[in-house]
Amino acid sequence: MHEGAPTADVDSGSFRDPDSRVVRSDGRIFRVLSERGAAEWRTFAASPLFGELVEEGKLIATRETDGLDLGLTGLPSAVDGVLEHDVVPFVSYPYEWTFGMLRDAALLQLELVRRSVEAGLMLKDSSPYNVQFMGARPVFVDVGSFEPLREGEPWAGYRQFCMLFLYPLMLQAWKDVAFQPRLRGAIDGITPAECRNLLSARDLFRRGVLTDVVLHNRLERRYAESTRDVKSELKSAGFRKELIVANVGRLERLVSRLRPPRSHSTWSGYGLTTTYSEEDAERKRRFVDDVVRSESPALVWDVGANEGRHARDAAESASYVVAMDADAVVVDRLYGELAAERTENVLPLVVNVVDPSPGLGWRGLERKPLAERGRPDLTICLALVHHVSISGNVPVAAFLDWLRELGGAVVVEFPTPDDPMVARLLARKREHDHPDYRRDWFEQCLAERFDVLDSLELGGGTRILYRARPR
Amino acid sequence: MLAYIDPGTGSLVLQMIAGGVAAAAVTAKLYWRRVKRVFRPRRAEDEGTLS
Repeated sequence: MHEGAPTADVDSGSFRDPDSRVVRSDGRIFRVLSERGAAEWRTFAASPLFGELVEEGKLIATRETDGLDLGLTGLPSAVDGVLEHDVVPFVSYPYEWTFGMLRDAALLQLELVRRSVEAGLMLKDSSPYNVQFMGARPVFVDVGSFEPLREGEPWAGYRQFCMLFLYPLMLQAWKDVAFQPRLRGAIDGITPAECRNLLSARDLFRRGVLTDVVLHNRLERRYAESTRDVKSELKSAGFRKELIVANVGRLERLVSRLRPPRSHSTWSGYGLTTTYSEEDAERKRRFVDDVVRSESPALVWDVGANEGRHARDAAESASYVVAMDADAVVVDRLYGELAAERTENVLPLVVNVVDPSPGLGWRGLERKPLAERGRPDLTICLALVHHVSISGNVPVAAFLDWLRELGGAVVVEFPTPDDPMVARLLARKREHDHPDYRRDWFEQCLAERFDVLDSLELGGGTRILYRARPR
Repeated sequence: MLAYIDPGTGSLVLQMIAGGVAAAAVTAKLYWRRVKRVFRPRRAEDEGTLS
């Protein structure tokens, strides 16, 4: 490290491609290229496709720096080029996306492969971790994936596409099996054999199943022990790039026809059936708006965002809002609305706050835990604490510890045990199961961790909003 | 194959087969167009005599 230079760290999730590594320095994002990586980049940068994709917002804006020295040591090959990327405000992973988000990311990946092949280029891999969301806009971030096309070679990323995009979408669409826990459980996704085993006989008649699942699985097993040079055999048999284009076109039609299995869930009608009077809803809205405006936060987390009304309001004053909810159906609907409006500063994510994304992959560092990807300046927790405390069995004090650790200001709502929603949750429990779920205890714990600046009673005193800053 | 991910040998073979089906579809489409072309000029003549 050079004297006085800002600290530069190779991103702990960027090591799989030896020719292209992501480096963070002083809030900026760089990509360090090997000699081969730099040659591939210059081919790509010189093609019209690069400019088109950046212009269309499908590829992260990227510039080559002028011989910038990040002072990196310990890299196995010499640095031959350093790129700088635009910063993605909040990094998210496929196991936090909704069906619509994973499908749009898949369609973006396929479009990039098709247009690359037509431009004499190719993508090295096919990973949804190469796609990020700017609000509701999917953007491909791995510029190091592009390389010159080698005539006669098939698409190396096809298998990865199936395991991390296609099978998760198929299983969700046809079997109503949520893909998020599966992708969170396996960093490489669902294998052809696993997907085959999860499909039933009637699924064999569905589009793509015979080819992309059944036959794919059979061929994978047959060639598992093979030492044949299939690459050369395919080349001499006349494998052409037109076959890649045809295959990708087929997958584009298949993926674009997949639909989420359900449009209703426990919380999908919450916005309509809320226990609030119209007047209270408006007072609540004004209270939250006032806090957001006076805090003027860069990053807001709306935890338990439901249909996203408060997240959208917050986005008018905040730079970026992450709207999280555990109900994937509700979040997918929000994503659909935001995508149609082309909103770029509200990021909808499927997050269960009592079981949030942990660190995953190699040494648990390849994919970062939720809070390490950007701590909020303001956290909004409306109609949430009773679910965390009563349904999730998290003590009220532990919940407030977590809120305090996030580090920012909070707007938090406490529905008292007299609130009809809370009474319903408590009715399922034994008496005295939640001795800490009381207004006085909540207020005592809150005051121990935060300076309470303001509060507002709603619903005849059954719901209280607090505005607080960390002590 | 020069790839830092494992492309899977079976997955490569599959692309030939799946691509082959697509290639066959293209051939069939070309053939169908030829069939249509046989009938098209006559229809044009018919319309011409009517007007």
